[in-house]
Amino acid sequence: MSQPIIQANNLDFFFKDFKALDQVNINVPPGSIYGFLGPNGAGKTTTIRILLDLFRASSGEVKIFGNSLKTHRDDILGRVGALIENPSIYKHLTGRQNLEVVRRMTGVGKRRIDDVLEIVRLRDNADKKVKNYSLGMCQRLGLASALLTDPDLLILDEPTNGLDPSGIIEMRELIKSLNKDHDKTIFLSSHILSEIEKVATDVAIIDQGKILYEGKLEGLKSGSDIQELRIELNDAHKALPIIQGMNFTISDSNAHYVELPITGREDIARINKALVAEGLDIYQLKTSSENLESVFLNLTNRLDQ
Amino acid sequence: MNLAIQITRGLSAEVYKYKKTLTFWLLIIAPAFIPAINFLILWRRGGDIIKDGNAWDMLMQLSMGPANFLFPFFIIMIALLVNSLEYNANTWKLIYAQPLSRFSVYFSKVTTFVMMLFITLMLFTTFTILVGISMRFVKPGLGFEVGYDYTLVYSLYLKIFLCTLAMAAIQFWISQRWKNMILSLGVGIAGVISSLIVMQGWKYAKYHPYSYHVLTTQGLSPENNSVWASMEHVYYSLIVAAVFFIGAGIEQTRKRIV
Repeated sequence: MSQPIIQANNLDFFFKDFKALDQVNINVPPGSIYGFLGPNGAGKTTTIRILLDLFRASSGEVKIFGNSLKTHRDDILGRVGALIENPSIYKHLTGRQNLEVVRRMTGVGKRRIDDVLEIVRLRDNADKKVKNYSLGMCQRLGLASALLTDPDLLILDEPTNGLDPSGIIEMRELIKSLNKDHDKTIFLSSHILSEIEKVATDVAIIDQGKILYEGKLEGLKSGSDIQELRIELNDAHKALPIIQGMNFTISDSNAHYVELPITGREDIARINKALVAEGLDIYQLKTSSENLESVFLNLTNRLDQ
Repeated sequence: MNLAIQITRGLSAEVYKYKKTLTFWLLIIAPAFIPAINFLILWRRGGDIIKDGNAWDMLMQLSMGPANFLFPFFIIMIALLVNSLEYNANTWKLIYAQPLSRFSVYFSKVTTFVMMLFITLMLFTTFTILVGISMRFVKPGLGFEVGYDYTLVYSLYLKIFLCTLAMAAIQFWISQRWKNMILSLGVGIAGVISSLIVMQGWKYAKYHPYSYHVLTTQGLSPENNSVWASMEHVYYSLIVAAVFFIGAGIEQTRKRIV
């Protein structure tokens, strides 16, 4: 596989004593629409804020376009367009003037404003004051401002939040066309599974700050090649960093066992070899697809509520 | 991208935001307020007020007192407006996710804020002088026909500007850090009122950051041209301003942007 556009390794994040993110790993393949799925409060927006350097993770590293966000922040942000939660819009200005503010900060040409207005189909209302905009128009304006620098990566946080059905469909078509016709990799968060299903090529599921699944959308649907692996061994604490180092996400562990989702039998062999090589005693390796499925089911129920 | 380009872009965007805002009009209308009243006073009752003595000196007196009292409230308001603009529009996360360093974005905002205060005071000075000059035509004979050292007037208000930077920095920091407007207003008003009380004669008044502009003009009259003779309050003000502007900047480059 080619290098991921976004690669986040073992992100931890705290709000005072509350652990909002727990060893979050993300790998966004180039050209994908990456659905980031989780219930409200799961850590989606927190993760996104870390990806944009608005928050800084207590530990872990973020690489975007192969470069560290810490050392290449300004260059990276110049190639990323973002729409975070509720729209960021100056209500006393018109749609066009709002874009002008961002244009001045980014230094792109004036003509680009008309281009992005065209893409989000807001040209006719561009010179109206934003306070007269509907929520759908505000979201599209937010998307237009994210597109201003012609970014390679779009990070959209709940872009359909609060939209009416026709607005949701319109936004969905827009996202698909940006991905297909404009070659943009799109990182899209949502708490609605059915919505992600309709557009995403890849998904990650996050709950209570932990990634429960990451992979192809089909993998999530069939469930056949995803399994929950339970490893019983003598020293789980020593095993955790080894397994995480191989880019797996731990779903549960204590001193005597580790549980994690895997995508095939080869993974079991690989993990086993690595653990034995580190001198750990393995007592049992047990897979169950039932367990993971029930996690998804439970989550899906909660998500759709 | 080098810092100069970043700051130019930041400033250009920052200034553009105030198009058609209350803030923009305040910058022009507020400094015209006291001169407009003085114009009316001199026009209707100029003869009674300026009996003997220099007409220009009288105009300066009529201007300085109210200005020294009202300008702090203007600072409180502008500090609040430039920051609540972002809070109300939810745009902190927008401006800090642009490909400009956090320092450039912060610096642009501070510079715009300080320039607003400077422009307002210079406009006020200009309007005040224009009132005097206009009296030559509106009401000849009051004594405005003689020339006056306009540079001196500008220097005086430049000094007042420097002496208010301390409280400006404090107000800016509070308004940036906390969304709550009441807090910023409360601290501001308490600061101004307490400075007025302290200046009644307490010897430590010079350590009150809201009092420098009044202290520096006490015992200073336009006719003795020694505006820059005593720099004590200017230095105090600049030190406090530096501490708070730098502190607020460090905080802003580190904090979580919600």
